[in-house]
Amino acid sequence: MAIVNPTTPELEDLAPEESWVSELNGSGPSRHVAQRNLHDLLVRSTRHQVWRLRHQLPGAGEGDLEDLAQQAADDALIAVLAKLDTFEGRSRFSTWVYKFGLLHAGVAVRRQAWRHREVALPDTLDSFDPGSSPEAIVQANDLSRAVRDLVASGLTPHQRRVTLALLVEPVPIDVLAERLGTNRNALYKTLHDARQRLRAGLIIAGYLDGSSTRSAS
Amino acid sequence: MTDPSVNLPAAILDSLLLDTSPYLSCDECFDQLDIYVERLRQDPTYRDVSMQVHLSACAACAEEAEALMDLLSGRAG
Repeated sequence: MAIVNPTTPELEDLAPEESWVSELNGSGPSRHVAQRNLHDLLVRSTRHQVWRLRHQLPGAGEGDLEDLAQQAADDALIAVLAKLDTFEGRSRFSTWVYKFGLLHAGVAVRRQAWRHREVALPDTLDSFDPGSSPEAIVQANDLSRAVRDLVASGLTPHQRRVTLALLVEPVPIDVLAERLGTNRNALYKTLHDARQRLRAGLIIAGYLDGSSTRSAS
Repeated sequence: MTDPSVNLPAAILDSLLLDTSPYLSCDECFDQLDIYVERLRQDPTYRDVSMQVHLSACAACAEEAEALMDLLSGRAG
């Protein structure tokens, strides 16, 4: 089946809200039906995400995209079933399920898009070429120089490589996580710590207002 | 006198210097995403500072939030 715009209004939840968890935790034929319906819900969200991100896979045909959506739904189904006991009913069950499909489909698309691409791990901003477009370049020369210096001397080598790969290259966070053998959480924490260090350094140097929550650029 | 070779694009400076406090991990963002998006759909003025900060700082999580919002709204994106 070819993937098409998957957001079709006629699709409704396949089971009453309250029966999803009990049927999935049950046994016998009703459990199998519930799992099949859960997979249908997940396919709805993975198709939606693959459709949204299809521009990242310009060489992929409709069959390739559908295969990606189905594989992501299979992976998401395992994740949902493993997390089923954490569903607290604070949102609709379908909304809770959708987010798993969106996560797995987004990761799948980005990894596919970067499958043959080299992931650069720059160690410095020195080689960064801002290009020749005047409107793309800030005039705060001193601030730029201070940031370059802080990136070079104020961050650990790991913070520097992760920060520059994520923000300057930019490499998608889950692609970088896969290449480095880590996870999205760990990379975001590294990036958070690096940003904190850069901001602290610029506050000390007088480039940022310590009471402000926004950058001075 | 300025040296254009050291200048950085405003977008990169902003992303390097973004204030990402209060800290929220990607897993914590994912845990709350369904609740956050539903509340935002019900009340566009709804605010959750931790979620907003994280979504402004993490492109992957922000993309998932936008996709969930679109899916619930019936938009194909």
